[in-house]
Amino acid sequence: MSIRFNPGTLRIGADVGGTFTDVVVIDEHGKLARRKIPSTPPDFETAVLDAIENLLSATNQDDYLVTAVAHGTTVGTNAVLEHRGARTALITTAGFRDVLELRRIRAPQLYDLFFNKPDPLVPRYLRLEIEERVSAAGDRITTPKQAELAAIVERLRSEHVESVAVCLLHSYAYPEHEQTVGRFLREQLPNVPVSISCEVLRERREYERTATTVVNAYVRPVMEGYLANLRHGMRKQGISAPLLIMQSAGGLTPEEDARLRPVYVLESGPAAGVLAASCLAKQSGIDNVITFDMGGTTAKASLIENGKWNYSPEYEVGASLSAGNRLVGGGGELIRAPTIDIAEVGAGGGSLAFLDPAGGLHVGPQSAGAVPGPVCYGCGGTQATLTDANVVLGFIRSGKLADGQVVIDEGAAHKVIHDQIAAPLGLRVEEAAEGIHRIANARTMRALRAVSTERGRDPREFVLLAFGGSGPVHAAGLAGELQSPTVLVPPLPGLFSALGLLYSGIEHHAARSCRLVGKNVTVAAVNTVLHELRLEMLQQFSEEGLGAEAVNLHAAADLRFRGQTSEIRIDFSADEINPQTMGQLKTDFENEHERLYGHRSDPDNPMEIVTIRLIGRASDSKNRPALSSVDSSVGSVGDRDAWFGEQQGRLHTPLVCRRDLLQQTEGPLLIDEYDTTIVVPPNVRVHCDEHGSIVMNFGGTT
Amino acid sequence: MIDPITREIVQSGLSAAADEMANTVYRTAYSTIVRDCLDYSTSLCDARGEMIAQGVTIPFHLGSVPFAMEALLAKFDEDMYPGDLFILNDPFDGGMHIPDIFIVKPIFWEGTRMAFAVCTAHHLDLGGRLPGSSACDNVEIFQDGFRIPWLKLYERGQPNEAIFTLLRANVRVPEMTMGDLRSQISACHIGERAIFNLIRRYGADSLKALTTDLIDYTERLVRAEIGEWPDGTATFVDYMDSDGVDVNPVKLQATITIEGDSLTADFTGSAPQVRGALNNTLSFTASVVYLCVRAAMKTEVPNTAGMFKPITVIAPEGTVVNGAMPAASSMRGVTGFRLTDTVFGALAQLLPDRILAAGEGGNTLVIIGGERPDRSHYVFYELLSGTWGARPDRDGNDGLCNPANVASNIPIEEAESNYPIRIERYGLLQDSGGPGKFRGGLAIHREWTLLEGDAHLAIRSDRRDHLPYGLFGGKPATGSLNRLKRPEGIETLPVMISSTIHANETLYHRQPGGGGFGDPLERVPQRVAIDVRNEKVSRTAAREEYGVVFQGDSFEVDVATTEELRQNLALQRSPTGRKRPG
Repeated sequence: MSIRFNPGTLRIGADVGGTFTDVVVIDEHGKLARRKIPSTPPDFETAVLDAIENLLSATNQDDYLVTAVAHGTTVGTNAVLEHRGARTALITTAGFRDVLELRRIRAPQLYDLFFNKPDPLVPRYLRLEIEERVSAAGDRITTPKQAELAAIVERLRSEHVESVAVCLLHSYAYPEHEQTVGRFLREQLPNVPVSISCEVLRERREYERTATTVVNAYVRPVMEGYLANLRHGMRKQGISAPLLIMQSAGGLTPEEDARLRPVYVLESGPAAGVLAASCLAKQSGIDNVITFDMGGTTAKASLIENGKWNYSPEYEVGASLSAGNRLVGGGGELIRAPTIDIAEVGAGGGSLAFLDPAGGLHVGPQSAGAVPGPVCYGCGGTQATLTDANVVLGFIRSGKLADGQVVIDEGAAHKVIHDQIAAPLGLRVEEAAEGIHRIANARTMRALRAVSTERGRDPREFVLLAFGGSGPVHAAGLAGELQSPTVLVPPLPGLFSALGLLYSGIEHHAARSCRLVGKNVTVAAVNTVLHELRLEMLQQFSEEGLGAEAVNLHAAADLRFRGQTSEIRIDFSADEINPQTMGQLKTDFENEHERLYGHRSDPDNPMEIVTIRLIGRASDSKNRPALSSVDSSVGSVGDRDAWFGEQQGRLHTPLVCRRDLLQQTEGPLLIDEYDTTIVVPPNVRVHCDEHGSIVMNFGGTT
Repeated sequence: MIDPITREIVQSGLSAAADEMANTVYRTAYSTIVRDCLDYSTSLCDARGEMIAQGVTIPFHLGSVPFAMEALLAKFDEDMYPGDLFILNDPFDGGMHIPDIFIVKPIFWEGTRMAFAVCTAHHLDLGGRLPGSSACDNVEIFQDGFRIPWLKLYERGQPNEAIFTLLRANVRVPEMTMGDLRSQISACHIGERAIFNLIRRYGADSLKALTTDLIDYTERLVRAEIGEWPDGTATFVDYMDSDGVDVNPVKLQATITIEGDSLTADFTGSAPQVRGALNNTLSFTASVVYLCVRAAMKTEVPNTAGMFKPITVIAPEGTVVNGAMPAASSMRGVTGFRLTDTVFGALAQLLPDRILAAGEGGNTLVIIGGERPDRSHYVFYELLSGTWGARPDRDGNDGLCNPANVASNIPIEEAESNYPIRIERYGLLQDSGGPGKFRGGLAIHREWTLLEGDAHLAIRSDRRDHLPYGLFGGKPATGSLNRLKRPEGIETLPVMISSTIHANETLYHRQPGGGGFGDPLERVPQRVAIDVRNEKVSRTAAREEYGVVFQGDSFEVDVATTEELRQNLALQRSPTGRKRPG
């Protein structure tokens, strides 16, 4: 499907996932074109370039100017997951080369005697030690020797190492030794990228810093190669616009920065979704939103409050399926980098439905993945999945989805749900399918609760914003469970993350461990750190051609009561702090602590500042076109039988388009979209708002 | 009859609630034992005190709840009101050992008791003879620390200030104890809120029926699985090196009987209770059995009381597996770990494809407690853990916490920033894993220097003389070692000791490795090559233990020489080799 754009400027958003690559193009009037095609690993750029080519082909190249390409990609994550990164070496303080492999010793699952720890990204023989030591207080007990450095370089050469990470003890506070080593390696090995921990993450805790630096080094050559290929391909298409990459913490960063510090862009896809949600919420005048993004293997939730999202200080790549609980890590590669706080559970369209020996029905977290996929895709899947159940329920249409990228076989879905679930349980096939649907909802609730009730937030005060391939199918049921009064489904729910890329600006994050406690928590001490961070950050923006006047700064502090081991992040003004703002910070912290955990500390127990953070956002002067009422529904008409529970039974459910819903009406209704369906159950009031979003209202009868 | 769909949804809600309680403790606790060792647990029980959910926390607490709740109900069943909150740590009143405080909140709905929220946490210090309230050579419970039988900490919403005052006066770091207690209480409130939500959703009567069904369902799952196991009996004997006071082997014996869909664990034959603080309560011994059975099962089961019903535990009173008054128990963790090895050793004979060889044998505790120059007290509680024995089809994990617990290690930079300690090294030790077709995990070693003043030093380690066993031809791993570097020379310390360490002295500890599984001569030579390249196995050990020889200094296996050497070694070993466990 190609749209002919009018002459003028275009922005491109490209979101590369493990299964599909989504590309959207928008002109300055808000006219939009989309394309979803299968990803093309390992040469992920091929799909992106093909999709761009396809979308722009109808338009005369002389007529338009692409002003920016915003990109979210899982290329880095995939390299980590599949252990296809660079041949990487690690240099550590003597006596500590196993810190990386020992990790935090933790196993993600209890009672599993067959659990295998992931192999370290750097094998033991490429982890080299150097005689050096700095004490916690900064005393340089042993300094690195030139001869030993030279020997290390020799070893790196003979082992044909492609990337190097350096992490020495206490370098977060005293980076001199690490910088000496880094300088020497860069001089001697000009063609090998060197990542040193004090440049990647200046925070205390050696394993977290080492692991983060190693992932950075490990994906750097991969990311450099990928971005170079993409850039080259775009040039051939006549596009010379800046290539901007979405960061895990939200906000775009220039391609050059992403090449140096790829560890900060690993989770760019999910971040783009949250950003898109926050943008849409702002446009629609909504302050508080719970985002709900359900795809093929996982469901993700995050909280936007007063237009702002939360950050998580660390996460693990590849551990999401085992993270039913966030206490026990160890299943993936740990990365300590600010990331939008997204709770994730293994529940998606591909989640397998199965019976245990005592007749219990379960859904996920195991998934049929993209290959073989649900049985109804007809690509070799043999086990019942959530998508098969949703087809049986009539929620997902049979036939072609997403320009025929997927073709649904309804009969196959019926057969597998009947044979594997309904018959053994003695249920009707619809009842079994409904059970699978509801159990998937129960799993998903864990993610939704993790970001709301578990944080002391009442979901009744939040709008549930649903997207992803399966999000709109499940949103209404979940809103009922959560008692959210309203569900919003944006235009293009299946490509919403790509859309989010179009609405983001450049953003940088900086942090410093400081540990101020008791009488050391002074206005002067905080201002000293803030000042240092501010200079550093403005320097970075200026290197990217952005002056201080174009940058908005926000500060945050990680705080705890003395003696505690976990921190709470509190925002404060990035201006010079004074006694009054300092008092406010303390009050905000105590209030949030009470809100989260139901109690404060002893009145005489002092607050401790562990880390100070600064976020810089480039204010975007160029107005983005509003999301004009894009009707992304595919125009299905007539009706389809859908099952809405035992009491309602099977109902002839009207199929409608978004434009049919300008007047409020009542469910049951189905709205078929490009690659998904919005399910509106009976008695739910629904309309399409002026931004093209579907709004469902629950609760009270008016 | 409850439909399987509603059951799954309610179970998901209950376990999410227990996990939310666990998260609350994790985020608000003060002690590093809670954060880094996750040595705590959260549970929900029905109105009869039967467990209906447990958070993802330490497996060692799996079976503690029934014993504690039974003792609580025996005392207070008729004397319980909304707003009450109970406290316990006394091992002779349903507790486990002095450092573990239980907080229990009865949950009432419209005046009727519906459920209990339970939170148990290991406290850094609850008084007693030595910092940390844990010393292997404590010889009676009164030395372990401050003893609290079941009491009302809150009565109808009002705090019982007398208990708080007494507690504050009897512990070394009161603000930490109080902070951790507060976080336990918060967790119980969170549990209550979750139960209220479920009652609002399903109604009180339905929820009762649903939770009763959940317990029955769990029992059916466990019985279905045990029913598929072959009937039979197997006995296994293992030892601890020390009774806590002296080097003096302590015998542990487990006899496991599988009969139909039930399992019995009989510890008759284990040593009488010991002088030191290594005596288990029956509840702790039962926890070990439950966690071993759970680990052997392939089916995922909900954490409810139904898990316990098909299992019978026999542990004669007055033995090390069920101590009688006034047995000390503060350091009985090591007994739990060794008992886990003993139960696994017996199960391995009945279920040879499901059990692993012995691992490091549990964590080593090193407690360094002293005064800073400003006279404030510190207690540095170091937990070293762990490595795994080899499995029937794969190597043991090099450096992973023992499956019986969920401990983490203490960050070096945190330790050095907060305590007068410098850590000199931390890593894996070459050739320390038991050779086998599948190799046992490598041992971990760590070294600490005290930077100022004098400090109490308590060490709890084991398995220097009685090594981690291998299975089905796999060899044992190397044992543990404690050494203290003093100006006058290096001194080897016993496995368990309470002593003093002075400034600039360095303590070295080497943990045991993990045992091997299967004949080392059957190990794929390429795996040996990878281990040699990674300096996990030396060339000498490759040749002598595995019969693998390389071409010169390379990592290319010399196939012909290897085959020849392996044949010779097999002949040499044949009269003595292939020992089976037991």
